[in-house]
Amino acid sequence: MSDVIVDAANVSRAFEMPAGAVVAVRDVTLSIAQGEHAAISGPSGCGKSTLLHMLGCVDTPSSGTLCFDGSDVSTLDDRARSRLRLRQIGFVFQRFYLLPMLSAAENVELPQAEAGAAKDVRRLRSIELLEYVGLEHRANHRPSQLSGGEMQRVAIARALANRPRLLLADEPTGELDQATSEQVAVLLDRVNADGTALVIVTHDPDLAGRARRVLTMKDGQIEQEVTR
Amino acid sequence: MSLTTVSARVPARVPEGGHPGCCYNPRVAPMHTHRRRGRVAGSVVALSCVVILAGSVVPAQEAQPPSILIARQLAALEGIAVGDEVELTSGEPGSATRRFRVIGTYEPTPNPLQLGVASRGIRMHLTDLLALTRDAATPAGTEHVEGITIALQDPDSTRAFVNDVNARVVGAFALFPGQAAGAGDTFVVLERFHMAIATVTIIAATVFLLALTVMLVDERRATVGVLRLIGFPAHRILVQVLIEGVVLAGAGALFGLALAVASEGLINWFFQWRYDTALIFVHVTPTVALACVAIAVHLGAVATATASWALLRSGGLRLAKR
Repeated sequence: MSDVIVDAANVSRAFEMPAGAVVAVRDVTLSIAQGEHAAISGPSGCGKSTLLHMLGCVDTPSSGTLCFDGSDVSTLDDRARSRLRLRQIGFVFQRFYLLPMLSAAENVELPQAEAGAAKDVRRLRSIELLEYVGLEHRANHRPSQLSGGEMQRVAIARALANRPRLLLADEPTGELDQATSEQVAVLLDRVNADGTALVIVTHDPDLAGRARRVLTMKDGQIEQEVTR
Repeated sequence: MSLTTVSARVPARVPEGGHPGCCYNPRVAPMHTHRRRGRVAGSVVALSCVVILAGSVVPAQEAQPPSILIARQLAALEGIAVGDEVELTSGEPGSATRRFRVIGTYEPTPNPLQLGVASRGIRMHLTDLLALTRDAATPAGTEHVEGITIALQDPDSTRAFVNDVNARVVGAFALFPGQAAGAGDTFVVLERFHMAIATVTIIAATVFLLALTVMLVDERRATVGVLRLIGFPAHRILVQVLIEGVVLAGAGALFGLALAVASEGLINWFFQWRYDTALIFVHVTPTVALACVAIAVHLGAVATATASWALLRSGGLRLAKR
């Protein structure tokens, strides 16, 4: 198996609008390798979230080729793409997107249940992940009973539930205060240190600065790439 | 004492020592025959005519007069008790009367066409009816009869019997139950009316159900979006939502049926009390129940599928961002 997890070649994404097509991502070529820690930054509307959504198979390119583990994603049907998202990719969003009717543990169990894990196995894994993010004591609390930082840590635990090879985070600290952002950043560093490739889209220079590879986007294109 | 008109239904062939109506078997199929003028004979079990209640209760006498049954409502209206003797006439008040002894009451067969009209029926032996109604100038056996109802011991032989009568008896027309002229017209109209109401109700319920389902599914946009982002395939969510829709529709149908069954007794009790009748106004049959559940479940499934399909066409991110 190649070291490259996801490989985007000349991908573009245009959105049809009543006033005309808006090109959010223009001719971007990018590869993310196993265990990599990358950050994508840039001004609002530069296309960084759209690029991340394409890398995570949440969105499809209008043109260009996107391969995941060497397979062209555009050839996959909904079922195969969903399976890819479920088992290979973890997603963390700015607004957490936890299911409000489920407890923290149940939210973490959900992707495992869909992946076919037995009930006792996924229960054990959920508790293990909640311990990993420091929220084992909040396992039975619902999202409404958690703080923003706690909700984001539960979301990270959920994203890691099926042991993905790639974790994508879209403004993971966007709705958190500085202290809580630091906690989440440390947690994401730890996830990456444990072997999961991590791509973060952020406005936060401190968070971007923690990555070994920083891509700066402008007008839908990668303007600058810095690797440390 | 004012004279009272009553309608008499008279059973024939009462067994020796029996009472009027004792030969009536509710399990046999009734049958109507029409003949212009003929002899009332054979298996005649009931016919209708008009007789006059010439005097209400008269003192019992030594010689036993013929026995009759009177409708429960008539007994209540006139204050007649079992064992009383009454005088009946088929002519004008004051004309010749005959004395009868009331040996019991009966519950008249409910008739929707006589709703709200207290039954004043009397049942007597055919020979007594003939004696009561025959014109003295008319020779016995030549009475005018419009129609007679015949009950057969073997209901399955109805068709053969009808064919036999029509082939053998000139001037007589044997008809199946409900085929008598105009007998079912009212009910045909009523059934069409019910069908129209049912159709309008189902259409309105469908629109309501669809709107409700769209709203319910729409409320779950964010949840569906999150599930899609996590990696739940669209068909999986669609199946889940469909199952929920079918279960909900089935539960709703069963609840509606339970409500209908519960209110059936209440509605029947009220209207039977209100109109003093044994008529059944509402009856939820297994066929009706099955039809209701089948329609509800299918409508629920279609409404849910329609609403969900529209939703699942949107991307997970767009749904979750709502």
